Amino acid sequence: MEKSRSELGQIIIGVARDPLGLMGLIIVGVIVFCAIFAYWIVPYDPIAMDIKSRLQGPSTAHLLGTDQLGRDTFSRVIAGGQVALKVALPAVFGAMAIGLTLGMIAGYGPKWLDNLLMLFFDTIRSFPTVMFALAVVALIGPSLQTVVFVVMATSIPTYGRVARTQTLTLRNSEFILAERSMGASMARILGVHMLPNIIGVLAVLAAMDIPTVIALEAGLSFLGLGVKPPTPSWGALLKDGYSLIRQTPWLVVGGGLPIILATLGFTFLGESLRDVVDPKLRKQR
Amino acid sequence: MLSFATRRFGLSLLILFVAVTVMFLMIRAVPGDPVQIMLGPRATPELQAQLTAALGLDQPIWKQLLIFYGNLLQGDLGTDVFSGRSVTDIVFQQLPFTLELIFASILWSASLGIALGAYAAAHPNTLIDRIAAAISVSFVAAPAFVVALLALLVFAVHLQWFPAIGAGEGFWDRLDHLVLPAFAIGLSWVGYIARLVRASMLEVMGESHVRTARAFGIAERRVVMVYALRIAILPVVTVIGVGMGFLLSSAVFAEIVFARPGLGKLVIDSITTRNYPIVMGSVLISTALFVISTALADLINALLDPRARTAH
Amino acid sequence: MTDTLLEIDRLSVDYETGRGDLKALRDITFNVNKGEIVGIVGESGCGKSTLISSILRLTAPNTRFREGEVRFKGKDLLQASERQMRNLRGADISIVFQDPMQTHNPVLTIGQQMLDIQHRSKQSKADKLAHAAKMLGAVGIPDPEARLKQYPHEFSGGMRQRIAIAMALMSEPDLLIADEPTTALDATLEVQIIERLQELQREFHCAILFISHHLGVIAELCDRVVVMYAGAVVESGEVREIFHNPKHPYTRRLIECDPGHIKERARILPTIPGEVPDLANLPGGCIFRDRCDQAMARCASDVPPLDQLKEGHHAACWLNHEEATS
Repeated sequence: MEKSRSELGQIIIGVARDPLGLMGLIIVGVIVFCAIFAYWIVPYDPIAMDIKSRLQGPSTAHLLGTDQLGRDTFSRVIAGGQVALKVALPAVFGAMAIGLTLGMIAGYGPKWLDNLLMLFFDTIRSFPTVMFALAVVALIGPSLQTVVFVVMATSIPTYGRVARTQTLTLRNSEFILAERSMGASMARILGVHMLPNIIGVLAVLAAMDIPTVIALEAGLSFLGLGVKPPTPSWGALLKDGYSLIRQTPWLVVGGGLPIILATLGFTFLGESLRDVVDPKLRKQR
Repeated sequence: MLSFATRRFGLSLLILFVAVTVMFLMIRAVPGDPVQIMLGPRATPELQAQLTAALGLDQPIWKQLLIFYGNLLQGDLGTDVFSGRSVTDIVFQQLPFTLELIFASILWSASLGIALGAYAAAHPNTLIDRIAAAISVSFVAAPAFVVALLALLVFAVHLQWFPAIGAGEGFWDRLDHLVLPAFAIGLSWVGYIARLVRASMLEVMGESHVRTARAFGIAERRVVMVYALRIAILPVVTVIGVGMGFLLSSAVFAEIVFARPGLGKLVIDSITTRNYPIVMGSVLISTALFVISTALADLINALLDPRARTAH
Repeated sequence: MTDTLLEIDRLSVDYETGRGDLKALRDITFNVNKGEIVGIVGESGCGKSTLISSILRLTAPNTRFREGEVRFKGKDLLQASERQMRNLRGADISIVFQDPMQTHNPVLTIGQQMLDIQHRSKQSKADKLAHAAKMLGAVGIPDPEARLKQYPHEFSGGMRQRIAIAMALMSEPDLLIADEPTTALDATLEVQIIERLQELQREFHCAILFISHHLGVIAELCDRVVVMYAGAVVESGEVREIFHNPKHPYTRRLIECDPGHIKERARILPTIPGEVPDLANLPGGCIFRDRCDQAMARCASDVPPLDQLKEGHHAACWLNHEEATS
């Protein structure tokens, strides 16, 4: 435990040293903070309507103005962050967990299983993501859970492939062969020896994946096929903003900016993380 | 080359086959009676029975599957429940708009991206290079539909430089209508491609055969363009081929934002009206498009790089 | 004087690095005459690559020419313009590189590349291709016309190296630089390539600067040899003379350690103890001092000059100086 704590500390320090990484760290930190404490820090209740104050521009009372139902945009932006992470984090970690397991099985198990799983991955990957998402939503109906499920399903092959490649590479490495010759079981080899090596790479992948996932959720909500109103989501803000684009630009700005910031933040963080965790990969920049 | 091409297409067909089957099973796996859902409150027992028979839903699954494949091979994607028209017709009527948009997006972003990347590789570590690197990271980050909305806001609504709605008529009008959506979709690609080309070029320029070319006094221009760039471009071809899925997704959003006709708009509209045959038909076609483009990318790659022909 | 083709005159080259200046070449002096085959012998890090890239002026951005001249046909190449250098490369001065597997462009056919090399010639494409086919035949590639349409990866390593030689000789250069052309090949291939090279040299009368660490090949092929160590010339002279009468401890040890030279069976092959010095932190005095078993006090403080011992035989060692002066 000691070792992993100081390793984590070292990683964080390494990221903080890189100017872009530091920026990423700060942005992500702010987002996570807002997401966790959203309902404590919002100036107004994000779903409270106040028709009298509808469609106002930015003012001291409403930093980003109000929407067509008089709801405070700024509060909705902050609360939207919570929704974004509520979808993104379970989806990414779920996909990572499943992809990791399937990938390791594919890499370590018999060839026929590998081929089967690869076909499964390739098939999912052959659907354009949004199209696939739309098809699923069409069948199951929109909701937060649907979004999480769809987002998770489309991400699994990414993690699966990487985990598989890593497993295949490690499979024939010396220390694994040594373990096998000492009679270690497959579960032990996979769980104790391969896992730590693979997780690092997957963690970096996850960090870079979160923006994609946030964008997907926002996109679906924008189309009206994501979270149900009145739940505040950045995508929903954009939806309202789009229909009101000639009356007020502030909803589009309010919905769009956090998405861009979140994407930037996580991308910077992810790239910096990658450079720190595996300097070898730096060359591919 | 020919054997490589056949093998590659064979693989594509296999994947397409599996994808189609998955789609089919997905529809059937949905809880509830699709006919009831489709008809909604209009569902009378007679209509239900009619539709069920029309969709073949009263048959056993394996028979349905066979009928489905049979129809598919004949190019029949089913019939639109509401209008009675063939789904294939409807989808292929909208497809060109989407293709036009995707093509325009790739054209401008790849050209600019390759040019920028090659320039950055030829002048590495200068201030311009570093600024370009930082900017391209930022652009890669912003999702296409957000860029589309902001572009709509700024350039169409506020500045009124470009139209906000539709696809336009006539060559120049259509081009005018393409500018903003293609810009939105392509923006993240420029940065990505530029970085890819830069890294690829730097790697190739360091390789021995470039040194050999220089040692024989071959003009630097030819060394860069023919000996280096031709090899460095290969990853871009693959990236675009694989990126088709991403491009299709972005196009869906761009079509909605700019109220353009196309596959995306078709799907969204069909979802809200629960028009399953069209939804499935559209998804199938776009999947096929994606599979074809990856196969095409591999083929072009093999054409340009003789080493790749033996790889598979 | 008219016989001299290439004169390296007290060439000193540094690389600027974060650690300080790497003194890659110090005071290098030797000549190559027309039609002569001169070998350069030395272990890794002796400066061979720097020397070659200096002659061709295809150097890394952090290269600094501190002193000296590289005169080719009387003209100092270090002062020449890039355009002038480009006119020389592949025309008057050609090169064969060490690694045949990486030396050709993988996406162009051999024919295309051999056409590109003839970019100065005003001949028709058909003539150029014919010339290329003829050269391929001269290096022993069977069915050359057909093979021109093939890609590098369709040839074995040995054939690729032969193609590289064909490409280098196409313009009938005055000077051919061969940078360890057989190091990446096995022994039988090496023999074939060397024989082929000898034939071609007799036919084209080019001078060859042949870099290698394989003493047997040097002895077989070269007229004269230059021995380099850690960026300096330690000995030079005619091949026969050097091999029979080496005057520098490093040369002596090289000969002793060469597997081809060893007459008796031994359990342990002789090596030269120690390591090549760090070029950024050079020791004072003779560069070989730390590994020399005959080092004297003087060797630690003064750099020995490249003395002329006999006609054409030079060595940089205080031992000879003692003899010479005593």
